[in-house]
Amino acid sequence: MTRTVWRHVRLAFFLGGVGLHRLSAYRVDFVLGAGAFLVRVGLQTAVVGLVFRQVPAVGGWTYHEVLFLLGFSLLPRGLDHLFTDQLWELGRKLVQRGEFYRYLVRPVNPLFSLLSERFFHPDGLGELAVGAVLVGWSGNELGLRPTPLQWAVVPLLVLCGALIHTSVKLLFASLSFWTVTSLPSMYAASQVSEFAAYPLDIYHPSLRFLLTWVLPFAFTSYVPCVYLLTGATGLVVWLPLVTAGAFVLALTVWRRGVNAYEMTGS
Amino acid sequence: MIVAENLVKEFRLTERKPGLVGSLSTLFTREHRIVRAVDGVSFTIPAGSKTAYIGANGAGKSTTIKMLTGIMTPTGGRCLVRGIEPYRHRQANARSIGVVFGQRSQLWWDLSVPDSFRILRRIYDVPDPVYRRNLALYRDLLDIDALGTTPVRQLSLGQRMRAEIAASLLHDPAVVFWDEPTIGLDMVLKDAVRHLVNHVHRELGTTVVLTSHDIADIAAICDSALVVDRGRVVHQGSIRDLLRTAERRSVVFDHRGGPDPGHACARIEQELPGVSASPAEDGRIKVDYPVDRFTSRQVLAFLLERFDLADCYAPEPDLEDVLRRIYAGGSRSPLAAGVAGPGQGGAA
Repeated sequence: MTRTVWRHVRLAFFLGGVGLHRLSAYRVDFVLGAGAFLVRVGLQTAVVGLVFRQVPAVGGWTYHEVLFLLGFSLLPRGLDHLFTDQLWELGRKLVQRGEFYRYLVRPVNPLFSLLSERFFHPDGLGELAVGAVLVGWSGNELGLRPTPLQWAVVPLLVLCGALIHTSVKLLFASLSFWTVTSLPSMYAASQVSEFAAYPLDIYHPSLRFLLTWVLPFAFTSYVPCVYLLTGATGLVVWLPLVTAGAFVLALTVWRRGVNAYEMTGS
Repeated sequence: MIVAENLVKEFRLTERKPGLVGSLSTLFTREHRIVRAVDGVSFTIPAGSKTAYIGANGAGKSTTIKMLTGIMTPTGGRCLVRGIEPYRHRQANARSIGVVFGQRSQLWWDLSVPDSFRILRRIYDVPDPVYRRNLALYRDLLDIDALGTTPVRQLSLGQRMRAEIAASLLHDPAVVFWDEPTIGLDMVLKDAVRHLVNHVHRELGTTVVLTSHDIADIAAICDSALVVDRGRVVHQGSIRDLLRTAERRSVVFDHRGGPDPGHACARIEQELPGVSASPAEDGRIKVDYPVDRFTSRQVLAFLLERFDLADCYAPEPDLEDVLRRIYAGGSRSPLAAGVAGPGQGGAA
């Protein structure tokens, strides 16, 4: 068991290296992807700026607090993006075109094998960088002085958030084992995750409930940000449990899907 | 050793009705049709053999291979590859097998072939000497270096297949499953692939399980055959035994003097009922006889008596003809009792 884990860790480093190598081989892709992403975040920030020209606060959140939230939401998203982008391919075409089989005939965990084909997706790096800058800048403007405990849990908050993103993506991508392609539902879930970049207080309670307990994207940004900005623990104590629940559920669906996989064609 | 015991695979297909109303009603009703792709197949493939898994389209060949490689789980029965149930222990099974599905790539589409091999080497923990030896072999036999640093997605089908075949052998697997491995290969490359697999088999005792629509591949690579029809094993044994099940055999001869070919044919057909004779190239005559009515000895004796033979030979029965008859559900069951392996019982 330990040996298997160790082997996968070594492989992860090696395949991570391959991923970085790929970045240099496909430089234009990288530049285009990063450019498009910067434009998107730039527009989001501009919209937030426009709104706050009219009003001093939205749902009790100030301009810099909203930017902090927007920036923080990019961190788990970026971390997830960096390692699990290949799940989109699973939902889109790997089952449909009968290509998924290759992960089942390699002496490596199939999920690892799948994800490793796209380690270090460039967009993830961009999200992490922009997110860190936004969080740092707005935190500074807010005069935020995190306690040592808050500093210590930040990596955990980001990691749990990333795992929630991964779990939702994995769950919907795995539906393709039964439906052949699950891109529409993956896309819908990813659209829902966009709501988590803004304060939940501005949404209708039903949407708030959906974002907290059904597709728990609130736990990737809103809940940790409330804790970091106000120090109030509130929902954040549920974060490990929600993460574990989402992850276990997604892994179960994935496993069942793999066992139900029927390779199409000859 | 590879064993299948009463292996069954069923697929559930949703019945779709034609037209708009039909597709709407499909949304609300759940009508399924069960299709049995593999129907209680049992067989044993001995270690170190080179077996052709033969069957017409839809015979369940690929489905069986997918269960043996661990890609799909059987609906019933079980199969064992070197004592392991592949679909239960995929990673352990994957270590000792190599796979090629001719239609589907398993390489990294945006990387070059050498890069793909470097990854495979890590994934399979291939020891250095083995890796170097195999690369040298592929360089010699498959001219793999010619593929250079082109990403796999830009390779031609033939180039990609060469890389796929090499990739499936890179870790010295004990068993290779090749499903249509020579698609897109020209004659020279086909020869190279046959040479490679025979070399590997000789050196390492690799068990080879092959499906192919190319009869020449089967004849050049395999020593035994497993014939499946409609999900059931209908013949297992050596290719030679399979050929012996031919219903008709032929003799071709050349003669001096005597009647012209047209007359000669008429005379043979008249005197040997059930036999057909036809002029072949260069004035030769091909005599086709049913084996249940004449022995080759009788036919030859007849020819020697009536004609002044200059040359005479009896070609191997055509494997394609034999198979065509099996697929068509020929009159005589080719299931040669006693030839089959111990696992035959379940399919009989």
